[in-house]
Amino acid sequence: MKAENPMQSDEPLRQVLHKWKVDAKLPPRFQEQVWRRIERSEPQVQVPAWMLLFHRLTAALARPSLAVSYVTILLLAGLLAGYWQVRIARAHNDEALSSRYVQMVAPFQNPHR
Amino acid sequence: MRRPSVILFAGLAVAVLAYCAIYYAGTANSCRMDPGQTPELAWLKQEFHLSDAEFTRISQAHEQYLAGCAERCHRIDLKNQALAQLLAATNNITPEIEKALAESALLRAECQKKMLQHFYEVSRTMPPEQGKRYLAWVQSKTVLTDSHSQMHH
Repeated sequence: MKAENPMQSDEPLRQVLHKWKVDAKLPPRFQEQVWRRIERSEPQVQVPAWMLLFHRLTAALARPSLAVSYVTILLLAGLLAGYWQVRIARAHNDEALSSRYVQMVAPFQNPHR
Repeated sequence: MRRPSVILFAGLAVAVLAYCAIYYAGTANSCRMDPGQTPELAWLKQEFHLSDAEFTRISQAHEQYLAGCAERCHRIDLKNQALAQLLAATNNITPEIEKALAESALLRAECQKKMLQHFYEVSRTMPPEQGKRYLAWVQSKTVLTDSHSQMHH
């Protein structure tokens, strides 16, 4: 059995397609939307949040004014935290020593004695 | 890229150093207080702004008071032991128990009297304002303490 030539059988179709003209207009920003859809369909690389934060911080610290502010703020934060901790430690120490003084001068006042 | 990372870590190091420096400077004074002198008395000196001479006199009075206090506490302990033996021997209030309770109360009253005398002596050694503050504070912590409510806790 002899096979039919596909080129000969497609000839009418080719002629029709050749005459066919598309008059419909493309929607606005069609090309951009196509690229977005392609981007979305590609698997995205997951960057850890801390890495993202690190990159943003280092990018910001490239500006001298921000770098100076950053160091100053951290210096003040350290000083304040230390001062606050000293106040707490002193209050605890004073409380303990005053209780020990009372215990020393009035040992029979202790109900657990 | 390298310089901003250095600044990032330098900032953190500065914060930690500042914290440690302030903490060390603030607590070094109380750490130095401990060796050499009784910390409680050192606290008293600091709290009531005593001069060295006042502090020396108060320390001497304190030592004398503690010697008598230990002796009185020993007598109270002996009385409590005797009372415990009497209480274990009966389930009634006997005349002996009544007598032991009265003697124990007398001993405690004597202790409180001596303690108050010591407080007055210490307060007189201090500058007047500090003496008043000391008396108010120490009395609120000792004789004016609500011992009845403490018993229920």
